[in-house]
Amino acid sequence: MPKMSLVNWRARRVTESPAAKPTSPNGPAELVGSVQLRHVDAGSCNGCELEIVSAFGPVYDAERFGARLVASPRHADAILVTGPVTRNMAVPLLKTLEATPEPRVVIAVGDCARNCGVFRGGYGVVGAVGEVVPVDVSIPGCPPDPTAIIEALRSVTRR
Amino acid sequence: MTDGTLIVAGAALGLGAGVSGAALPRRFRVTAAATLVWGACALEAAAAVHVLATGHPIVLRSAELLPFTGVDLVLNPLGALFVLLVAIVAVPATLHGIGYAQHGSATRSATCVFPIFVTTLLLVPSAGSVATFMVLWELMALTSLVLVLVDHGRSQAAQSAAAWYAVFTQGGAALILVGLLVLAAHANGQSFAAIAHHARHLAPAVRGLVFVVVLVGFGSKAGVVPFHVWLPKAHPEAPSPVSALMSGAMVALGVYGIVLVGDDLLGGGPVWWWLVVLGLGGASALFGSLHAASSTDLKRLLAYSTTDNIGLALLALGASGLFEATRHPLLASLGLVAALVLVLNHAAFKGALFLSAGSVQVATGTRDLDQLGGLLRRMPQTGALFLVAAAAITALPPLNGFIGEWLLFQALLHGAASGNTASDIAVPLAVAAMALTAGLTVVAFVKAVGIGFLGRPRSEAADGAVEVPITMRLAVGLLVGACIVLGVIPTLVFPAVERAVKTALPGVGTALLAHGVDVQLVGLRGVLAPATLAGTMTVAVLVVLMLRRVLAHQPAPRVVEAWGCGRQLQTARMQYTATSFAEPVQRVFDDVLRPVQDLDVSHVAESRYYIEAATFHNAVDDGIERGLYRPVIGAVRRWGQAARALQPGSVHRYLGYGLGALVLMLAALAMIA
Repeated sequence: MPKMSLVNWRARRVTESPAAKPTSPNGPAELVGSVQLRHVDAGSCNGCELEIVSAFGPVYDAERFGARLVASPRHADAILVTGPVTRNMAVPLLKTLEATPEPRVVIAVGDCARNCGVFRGGYGVVGAVGEVVPVDVSIPGCPPDPTAIIEALRSVTRR
Repeated sequence: MTDGTLIVAGAALGLGAGVSGAALPRRFRVTAAATLVWGACALEAAAAVHVLATGHPIVLRSAELLPFTGVDLVLNPLGALFVLLVAIVAVPATLHGIGYAQHGSATRSATCVFPIFVTTLLLVPSAGSVATFMVLWELMALTSLVLVLVDHGRSQAAQSAAAWYAVFTQGGAALILVGLLVLAAHANGQSFAAIAHHARHLAPAVRGLVFVVVLVGFGSKAGVVPFHVWLPKAHPEAPSPVSALMSGAMVALGVYGIVLVGDDLLGGGPVWWWLVVLGLGGASALFGSLHAASSTDLKRLLAYSTTDNIGLALLALGASGLFEATRHPLLASLGLVAALVLVLNHAAFKGALFLSAGSVQVATGTRDLDQLGGLLRRMPQTGALFLVAAAAITALPPLNGFIGEWLLFQALLHGAASGNTASDIAVPLAVAAMALTAGLTVVAFVKAVGIGFLGRPRSEAADGAVEVPITMRLAVGLLVGACIVLGVIPTLVFPAVERAVKTALPGVGTALLAHGVDVQLVGLRGVLAPATLAGTMTVAVLVVLMLRRVLAHQPAPRVVEAWGCGRQLQTARMQYTATSFAEPVQRVFDDVLRPVQDLDVSHVAESRYYIEAATFHNAVDDGIERGLYRPVIGAVRRWGQAARALQPGSVHRYLGYGLGALVLMLAALAMIA
């Protein structure tokens, strides 16, 4: 246990204690330690977004493992895609990928991103994320649990 | 050839250029006139260089040339510096005019009047008597007025601009005439030498009155707030070579006039004179830079920036006078050196900027920054030259703007404790005004370069722009070269400036010592080594570039579209515009600029929740014009309307007027008898 400082002796630490280090690494070695993420909502129902927010909240605190959300793909190492890719978002998704510097990682979050989920065959759906851009990591679940998201991110940051 | 012959021959060549511009066939007239103008500039500049090198004035007199008074020409070092300044702007402006003339405005009258305008500009600083000065001054005003009107057929605005300019220049000339005539009447002679001899014995009230009247007269020519209103109207409408001459050279002659009368003829004055000059200078600098920062018309921006730069020169002039009145001769000398260097530098970079604005106008047909963009790629040389000139005007070392502002700062900072209360309050305020002006100037020129030359073209005209002919680029290049030379080796001109200062303020010592290429202030702590600075900067840039190449091994860059939040259509309309760039400044200085904004929203008939069309209108017009001059014009117009009641067109009424007047006159005569 770290030594308690005067500042937080009244506050109880609420963060989940981290699980063991990830065993199966993903993504290029240059990104080890720190990964900046740009989130793209390609047509999600916002369930996955809630879980991503939760993963970066004080309880799961993904930032301690070196993952961080940024505001522009120009600042990002990886893009975090949720939802089936809809017709309106296909070009923006491609443009976001193009704007992300290399080496980069594409992480598909949730069942819809993996295989369109319940929206498969919908008139506004182009296809799963993997059918539009090359996917490196995918996270199953509808929506995926924050722990699952953290686990996948840790496999990229390797911390 | 004697020195006097140089001046006469130069004037003759200039007039010859005017005649050939009027008489020769269309094919030759522009080049022939230009060649003769260059000859005139070369001869006058040679005379000026001779005067500056020897320090002996050239004196000429011809009793026959002008009835009753004769012509007196006295070229002293102060005037010679301004002759040199005019020549520095006039040669490139004429060269630019050759290319500019191929795009219209090569009318016979323009080609005839332009050389005469240049000649009068060259001769005004060598006038040696009131009559000669006023004749040349008026010729200069009239020829420039004709040149503002060259494009009257194409633009309604040119006619209105010319009307404003005519009122200000004629009003100013009338005031100058009144002031000089008062002096001449007291001196019993109209030569400047006699006036300077007698003016010291005048009553202080008369001297003060003459100074203020003449200051207003010359201030209206120099574009000093609140007499600057004609500047942002006339400069944009005149052809660009003319605007370059008007802004670079003619406006500088306003400053010459103030130095001539204030220092040379009246021999300095009490503190309050110079506080007025300092106040006008500070107000002009701030008002001009603020409006330059919020203008969207390129040439209007440059015109306001002229007011700003002349304001700085007046700050230096006012400070110099203050220091002389409070017995600080070294500081007075430094202040006047700063004023003259500022004016000289302004001629170089503002000439370059106006000429490149002319190139942009020729290439795109517009000078509205909101219609431009992407020009650096389409006109790389013009763009690069504009960039360097803009860096010079924002006082970045190692260019010439830095030298002038450094001298002014030194004079003001060292003069902050002069012992006179009013001066001790005013000088720190002047430093503050200067600092704010410098910041606003940066905003204005980042906008001019960033919106005008970078990004994507905002109109088809800007998209289709092609580089202008070589003569026009060369003309701008000459002036930009002058900016670099004056910035790196200012010691080239400092001896000449010192000579001019000693003419205007004979009692003061030398303010600057040149050690090779370095400059040291005499008696004050301050050293400037512009050449070392430039050398160090060049070496530093080269080292960084080399290190980058040696140390960083980079993969080949991947060229992709600019990030636009993934939008499918990216158009030029998504960029910053000049208006939006200036919006924060406009908002901060809302109380001074008082922009007029209108938002008209029309809703769909079925529901107010849906908008059919929205129009937004934003205009920053001149607050002084609106508050000071428009009411006067309105009142005159109302008086005119009222007078129409007297003129109903009825013959009976007119006969009645005649009868009434006759009766009144007879009655008056009867009473007197």
